[in-house]
Amino acid sequence: MAELSDKAREEFFSEAQEIIETLSRNLLSLDASIKSGASDPSLINEAFRAVHTLKGLSGLFGAVRLGALSHRLEDVLDDLRLGRIEFGQDVLDVLFAAVEAYTRILQAEKANSDDELDVEGLFTELERIGAGAAEHQSPVAEYELDPGLLAVLTEYEEHRLRANIDLQMQLYRLRVQFDLSTIDKALEEIKERAKRHGEIITYLPTGEATSADTIELDLLMASRDDLATLVGSLGADNVVIEEIPRRARRSVGAGTMPPRHQTSIGRADSVALQRELDKGGLETTSSLRSLTQTVRVDIRKLDHLMNIVGELAIVRSAFGRMAEKLRGEGQRKLAAELLRMHRNFDRRLGEMQDGILEVRMVPLGQVFDRLARVVRQISREVGKEIRLVITGAETEIDKLIVEELSDPLMHMIRNAIDHGIELGQRRVEVGKPLAGTIALNAFQKGNHVMIEVEDDGRGIDLAGLTEKAISLGKLTRNEASELSRDEVLALIFLPGLSTRELVDDVSGRGVGMDVVKTNIGKLGGVIDVHSETGIGTKMTITLPITLAIVSALMIQAGKHTLAIPLSSVSEAIAFDEAAVRMVDGREVITLRGQTLPLCRLDRLLNLEAAPDSMSRRRFVVVAALGQRRLGLVVDFLYGQEDIVIKPLGKSLADVRGFAGATELGDQRVGLVLDAASLIEEVLAGVEAPRTLERRHG
Amino acid sequence: MANLTQSTASRLARRIGDRGPVREFLMFSLTGELYGVELTRIKEILSPPPITVVPRAPREVIGVCSVRGLLVTVLDLRRRLSLEERPLTRRARILLGAAESGEVIGLLVDEVRHVVRLAAGEIEAAASALGGDVAEFVMGIGRPSGEFLILLDLQAIVSG
Repeated sequence: MAELSDKAREEFFSEAQEIIETLSRNLLSLDASIKSGASDPSLINEAFRAVHTLKGLSGLFGAVRLGALSHRLEDVLDDLRLGRIEFGQDVLDVLFAAVEAYTRILQAEKANSDDELDVEGLFTELERIGAGAAEHQSPVAEYELDPGLLAVLTEYEEHRLRANIDLQMQLYRLRVQFDLSTIDKALEEIKERAKRHGEIITYLPTGEATSADTIELDLLMASRDDLATLVGSLGADNVVIEEIPRRARRSVGAGTMPPRHQTSIGRADSVALQRELDKGGLETTSSLRSLTQTVRVDIRKLDHLMNIVGELAIVRSAFGRMAEKLRGEGQRKLAAELLRMHRNFDRRLGEMQDGILEVRMVPLGQVFDRLARVVRQISREVGKEIRLVITGAETEIDKLIVEELSDPLMHMIRNAIDHGIELGQRRVEVGKPLAGTIALNAFQKGNHVMIEVEDDGRGIDLAGLTEKAISLGKLTRNEASELSRDEVLALIFLPGLSTRELVDDVSGRGVGMDVVKTNIGKLGGVIDVHSETGIGTKMTITLPITLAIVSALMIQAGKHTLAIPLSSVSEAIAFDEAAVRMVDGREVITLRGQTLPLCRLDRLLNLEAAPDSMSRRRFVVVAALGQRRLGLVVDFLYGQEDIVIKPLGKSLADVRGFAGATELGDQRVGLVLDAASLIEEVLAGVEAPRTLERRHG
Repeated sequence: MANLTQSTASRLARRIGDRGPVREFLMFSLTGELYGVELTRIKEILSPPPITVVPRAPREVIGVCSVRGLLVTVLDLRRRLSLEERPLTRRARILLGAAESGEVIGLLVDEVRHVVRLAAGEIEAAASALGGDVAEFVMGIGRPSGEFLILLDLQAIVSG
């Protein structure tokens, strides 16, 4: 790439990325419209414009590879929009491949890598599709229409033009002189009169007005009537009507749309040039402007803004103090005024904080669009027809979470298609629609966002799952027989248990649900599975709305107020000292028939005891990490709170057991326990009891 | 007039030439002794907010506190310098500085005095005066107006 400032490069990448995303969305809509039996020309037009803009940008920024791909893609889309090639799934496949190629090229450009990217195959495919164009001339191309006029047609106008041609209408050009002062009215009049004969499709100034007070327009009209009738009805001193002749088919020469793919190289060059012109000079200038009104912002900049809000908060408290001081000195009026300003400032500051948090939010649609491409691709790979139904794409969630969501969701969808949805024939046999449905639903629920991935397939094979778990030594046959239905379903999250051998092996690429669960867990989320044999499976992910905020259980141990993230807590119960037994030198209790090792937090962390701790009733918080569970004995439960976790500094990096700290209000700081490391530490070297993980409700 | 300006300039030039560039140090007391750290290293001086003890932390870490939403690790400079511990008074302050890692460190001191200006030539090498494990944190000794000032290398302290 040419030498550019980092900022300009960033902006170019952002814009290119957005254009590619737009293109991808257009293609998905096209895919849907083809499936419903009609391809929407405006979508092809949009796709064409997106690529055209990208080509212009690439040229500007010297991104040769992006430019080359855009150039070829633009040709194909142009042929498509002008109806020179038929639209179909095979064409769409190539277009989707182009989107993938764009993404790869963009990544390479970003990384400043000059690695060869294998796009030759794609180029060949694009050429192959384009080659079909010569065989299939658009009806529009059969008329001697002014290319300048064609270039400025709106989508609607182009659509009307085609529709009229399809209806065997004759096209006319009306060259009309208007008085500048009355043009609006006069134009309406002529349109109104023309209605009896057909319709005015578009109009364009010719730039050849005879005096400064007049303007000359070319009106493109379609009509069933012949020239004489029109002249009789619409003709006037200022109106000249001409019939637009059909050109002889396949005429090579001075025509505006010569067929492409000439053998001679010189000829091909002039064709390319002509095609450039066809696409319209007007568009080139306007298309360099940004397509969207959005900006992309480094999330660290938002963090910086958040810190400034923190600084402003001191200024605010200084105001408050000053007001108090003034009041103390008897300046009541001034104090009241300052207090009012202080309150106002306080409110605005709060709004600003909310605003910055809101900027971090992006719609889930961003990741859903990517998933829609994946669904399409997989369904074609495995030969199952899939209908993807998306709801709640507008649901917003922290940008950082969205980035981390796409992989887990992709695995879940892949699993659903591979193992959930039956083959078409089988579906018809059991009375289901041929096309399988995968529903991707998102919605907000309080401070959480729920994402559901639901399929109408065969459901999870519970017996198979249990057998597999037994064969892998995850549990004994006896234990298996005592499991509830939900507990069996939860087996799917054990390492090595989910995916292929369970049901038919189609993809062989399935990633275990344990990995999915871990990744969701890293985001502070939990995943739930629900399945009905023969009806389908529904996976529900519950995520915090922002990574900055985590739901936690607030507890007291010794003199310390501590937080435990709820994602690692399965339940909390009252502690009965009398129920404690010693097993292998370790304190345990029995919880619903299973042994639960205990850990007295105050002893483990050597916490200073609270003065009244002995008299109080204590509690056990059951922390869960995979199959391992640990009962943390604590002095008091304060309840659930949404907290912001801040990492401890580097000088405390070696301190085990804490995930960070959080503000408790009233200036105090509370430590956040890291349940995973506590469990590891306490149970280290001890075989984890064979208890099944139980999700908190 | 012109002469006067010239003579001032030459006097200044001579002074800088003699003593080296001038640096500013924040003077504070700790267990009865006077210490100084370079002023540019200190971001802020605070009255100690409530400090949360971090169990299992290294001995010199008192705990963490929040300064307008920023998490600060508070070091007890007396423990780091192996000094005798005395109860804190109302005058105790926390000096905020940043470690190379970006971590914000608070240094708890007994009392902040004032700022002194020392030219490079007024700073004695410390190695001769002090020994032991304290030496690595000391960048020199200053004697502004007859006082004995131990100049600390803040970077070494917060990064240690």
